[in-house]
Amino acid sequence: MTVPRGEIFGFLGPNGAGKTTAIKLFLGLAHPTSGQARILGAPPSDLEMRRRIGYLPELFRFQDWLSAREVLELHCALAGVARAQRRSAIDDVLELVGLRDRGQDRVASYSKGMQQRLGLGVALVAQPEVAFLDEPTSALDPLGRRDVRDVLRAVKARGATVFLNSHLLSEVEQVCDRVAIVDKGRVVGGGDLADLLGRSTKVKIRLSEASPNAGEIAARFGRVEPGIAETLLVDGIADSKIPDLVRELVAAGARIVSVSSEMATLEERFLHLLVKPDDAIPDHR
Amino acid sequence: MQFLIIARLTLLELVRRRVVAAVGVLTAICIGLTGWAFFKLHQFSLAHAASSGGRGEEAMANAVQVILLAHMFGMVLAVGAAFLAAPSIAGDVESGIALAILPRPLRRRDVVMGRFFGLAVALCAYVFITGALEFTVIHSITGYAPPHPAAALAYICSGAVVLLALGIAGSTRFSPIAVGIVCVALYGVAWIAQVADAVATAYHNGAIRTACTVISLIVPTGGLWRGAIFSLEPTLMVAASAQLTVDPITVTSPPTTAYLLWTALWVAGMLIASIASFERRDV
Repeated sequence: MTVPRGEIFGFLGPNGAGKTTAIKLFLGLAHPTSGQARILGAPPSDLEMRRRIGYLPELFRFQDWLSAREVLELHCALAGVARAQRRSAIDDVLELVGLRDRGQDRVASYSKGMQQRLGLGVALVAQPEVAFLDEPTSALDPLGRRDVRDVLRAVKARGATVFLNSHLLSEVEQVCDRVAIVDKGRVVGGGDLADLLGRSTKVKIRLSEASPNAGEIAARFGRVEPGIAETLLVDGIADSKIPDLVRELVAAGARIVSVSSEMATLEERFLHLLVKPDDAIPDHR
Repeated sequence: MQFLIIARLTLLELVRRRVVAAVGVLTAICIGLTGWAFFKLHQFSLAHAASSGGRGEEAMANAVQVILLAHMFGMVLAVGAAFLAAPSIAGDVESGIALAILPRPLRRRDVVMGRFFGLAVALCAYVFITGALEFTVIHSITGYAPPHPAAALAYICSGAVVLLALGIAGSTRFSPIAVGIVCVALYGVAWIAQVADAVATAYHNGAIRTACTVISLIVPTGGLWRGAIFSLEPTLMVAASAQLTVDPITVTSPPTTAYLLWTALWVAGMLIASIASFERRDV
């Protein structure tokens, strides 16, 4: 698996798939039984490389007897940020994560959401080239999630790479350029998010009246889902084939009111890759 | 010098978590109470100077009091060292603090050495400040001063550092509570081995003496404890002990140079083991 620079990369998978373990292996927090990882071209043990990365763990705690500023100061010192630049770096990152007015407060007085914002700030304070973020929005309200999405886009805009672990697929869908779906420690799917979602589209065609052979024509382009007679739902048709379908329907005498293309959601792709037919909930009726 | 950042953080933690304030207040109360006790003894001695053994007897009584105080101080310090060291690394791993710190350009040996150095500085500063205060108070009230106070404090400090190294080594693998209990238990075993050794020597029991020697090598706090007591004993007390068949409390000789070298190597070895253990641990 390779993550290109300058992108937001989503690392997805069910609980226990190995997402957090993978990040720990990348960062030298856990030791691999086989295989190797390289970040920015260097192994996890390389200290120079580790100056250029940031990490927000999923389950973490900061020293609650320090203020947020002191926590950030500590991480600046550990990351080797020059003393003269630390104050502005801390001010900037507190502003970025929305904690500007609470920087002097002890971490012990922070809510879970504020601690997660601080965690994001710690990951980003040293201007990393790669930021590993493990479930960065799990403790946040919808407003906080929107803020985090904005932060991720800002990080990407300055050319950094974001490696995002998340089970919130709608979040991933909104910010990621590329994803990998992992299950039981193996990547089972992924790629460019636009391709992944565009590969299987669903088109809804509304007709002014039922057309006798419209269903037969549509079936040559994809799977026709059952529905009311005036509406055709065609699943699995490529974007490029939709005009051909429309042309053939019109040639056959169908009167089309509207055509709408519906991309598959990431959740549908996720379930398609991970749920086998045997795993479906049994019908006991 | 990343380990200095961790050492500074360790000292700051002791201040912010009010460990320093709590220990400071308790120590001040203890020094006040012991000062009062020495004052009362001194008054009693002056009032009964004619019927008692006079200044010589008072000096001996003061020496015994100081040694008993040192016993209490050493025990408190050993427990303190064990319970400061036990959560030093295990606590950070369990809480998730280590997850945020370790991906930084920081070697795990910096964490181990930083924790050890910070706690060792705190313990040694506490021993010398408190010891100097206590000796000064006693001297100003009674005029008595132990023969080698600085050496006694250095031995007590060394014992604390030994337990600190042991606690940190355990902390790289085991839970804080397990490490704390093991350290205190080993300290107790090492102490009782010194007493048993004196008895075994008196009764020429080679097997017990060998067992006690092995224990004092495995946990060198006992030997250091003998050094501390020897430094506090007036010559008269050592001479009196020589007349007795069995005296498991009085120490008649300090630890040898070889034993002190072994202790230094033991601490270094424990730190190397700590680093190796922590570097192999998944967090």
